[in-house]
Amino acid sequence: MTNQYIENLLFYFVVSPVIIAVILYLSGANRFTRIVALLAQSTLFYFTLQNFLYVSHTNNVISSPVGGYYGFMGIVLVADMLSSMFIMLTAFIFLIATFYSFSANHSPLFWLLKFLWQASLIGIFLSGDFFNIFVLTEIATIVVTVLIMYERKNRNMYDGMIYLVISTIIVNFFVFGVGYLYRMTGTLDISLVSERVRYLYTSDLILPYALIMTFVGLKCALMPMYSWLPKAHGSKGAPSSVSAILSGLHIKSGLYLFLRFSDVFQNGGIDGSQIFLVLGIITALAGVIFAVSQTDIKLMLAYSTIAQVGLILVGLSIGDIDGYNYVGGLFHIANHAIFKACLFLGAGIISHYYHTRESTQIRGVFFEMPAISIAMILALLGIIGTPLFNGSISKYFLMSGTGWDTNIILNIVNLGTIIICIKFSAIFFGKKPNIRKKPLDIMSHGVILLLGVMCFLMGILGIQTINFLFGYSVYVNIAGYTEKAIIFFVSLMAGYVIYKAFLTKEGPAMKWIRTSEMGFRGMCFSMVAFFAFILIAVGFYN
Amino acid sequence: MSNVELVSIIVFFLAFYALVTNRNIIRTIIFSSLMEVSVITFWLSIGFRERLNPPILYTMADYEHIYTADPVTQALMLTAVVIGIAVTAIKTIMFITLYRKYKTTDWDLARIRKTEG
Repeated sequence: MTNQYIENLLFYFVVSPVIIAVILYLSGANRFTRIVALLAQSTLFYFTLQNFLYVSHTNNVISSPVGGYYGFMGIVLVADMLSSMFIMLTAFIFLIATFYSFSANHSPLFWLLKFLWQASLIGIFLSGDFFNIFVLTEIATIVVTVLIMYERKNRNMYDGMIYLVISTIIVNFFVFGVGYLYRMTGTLDISLVSERVRYLYTSDLILPYALIMTFVGLKCALMPMYSWLPKAHGSKGAPSSVSAILSGLHIKSGLYLFLRFSDVFQNGGIDGSQIFLVLGIITALAGVIFAVSQTDIKLMLAYSTIAQVGLILVGLSIGDIDGYNYVGGLFHIANHAIFKACLFLGAGIISHYYHTRESTQIRGVFFEMPAISIAMILALLGIIGTPLFNGSISKYFLMSGTGWDTNIILNIVNLGTIIICIKFSAIFFGKKPNIRKKPLDIMSHGVILLLGVMCFLMGILGIQTINFLFGYSVYVNIAGYTEKAIIFFVSLMAGYVIYKAFLTKEGPAMKWIRTSEMGFRGMCFSMVAFFAFILIAVGFYN
Repeated sequence: MSNVELVSIIVFFLAFYALVTNRNIIRTIIFSSLMEVSVITFWLSIGFRERLNPPILYTMADYEHIYTADPVTQALMLTAVVIGIAVTAIKTIMFITLYRKYKTTDWDLARIRKTEG
């Protein structure tokens, strides 16, 4: 393999899903379409793996100019270790989702949208200039809007409309901010901008920083702007594979952009890590509170995604780029993709089987579907950070070396996650329901089991996985890990006691949190508030 | 700061003010595309100074001594305009479907009717 070969590959990562999408759309809804989709996804995953292995082995940053315009004249696709990891994750999650929806006879439109979605996500991860990110985000927004209202029977126009309008409004902030950067640096190339911002006054960069970070904050569903996420991720009209990709992967595009852009502005002297540390903590706490009060299984998972994103953001904001917290945050991104995909896919099968999504009405899943239950319990053990599971490793690194105050808050967040998972796991036990058995779908069960087992394997082989995925060599301090395990078991018991004492029956406060919903104007106002907060806080710190 | 730039910033935040204060979905669609227009105007103001020519190459002889506006911003904004049209069209179509279902043009009423089922 040579550099040239990988450069060509990068172009085809973005273009080939589009071509396959059109072919699938024209070939109609039949078995052939699904087999081609599966083959295409497998091939893509193989090549992304090849790309990742090459990039991580040689440690090169590969940039491939599209159309042969060298020297910052044209558009450029860049693959470094981080973006290679992200496109590999994209290809993996999409492959899983394709396996999952193989036996459901979806229309050609579904496959068209899914492949376009993949192309735009890979494009965002590989894009080397700001404007491409805008275009691809818009494509992804439109595709997601159609996909979350895909099932005609129980689609929800209001939620889809909110998602589309909010996403297209916030993208204007991004283009505005990029306009400022372009005016000051004369280029749109991210690497060139991050070189040239060194020569600018820091005070000039505050306004573009606030504009761009408002966009990124909405994409990550940070606290005042969280309200679109449960609407999209828990949408009733979305097929489960779409929810899984949304929660496992799509939200990570926001985190990826956060990493890239804060890197750019760091060069210009703007350090927003303190602000995002605080925002991450608030998001994690609020996400946990919202998630605990839900009764809908998909909404519980969706709100828990908000909490986990907050946690990841805390890890990425503490310390420097080589610190353990940063590595923990990165590893938690990959882990969250795995266990959240597993939980959403499993929840999809369960809600399809029981014809309801209310956790109070679903009981005895363990006796009905033992394989799925085991996989989902493994994923739940991962998400709460049980020792030896993948979540424990990432949370251990994420919390290592933090101050006592941050540490306590993060442990409270983990306690909240434990309570959510205890509440969620109530569906596995109880009396066996009287439902007519349906035929077993081996493929979807197989992939859920695979994801569940991966949660365990990535925990046992945590150090090796971090080394493989991110190139950091880290080691676990046995004393610290044991202490973490003790804290975990204490909080597990505390969580069980709190759940039994307060949360088995719905109180008025919980009902109020569950039913209160932010309207459209509230969401717009929250954007302004977030923007103003970032502007003032950055102005204050710099 | 040029006048065009100032106007585009003012229009941007005015449109946003309208988004926060309005409940009507059609107005929301209109004002969000107004925001887009203000961003496009801002971008065009980046590449433009007075007495600059349009970035068109007339003959090769002119290439030396004609000063043109920045073509990059104009090309990019062409893309943005096209995207804006597509997005506005989709929003309008979705609004029609929403109106048929909930019989209202009001965000809050639509939310209430959604929860009622």
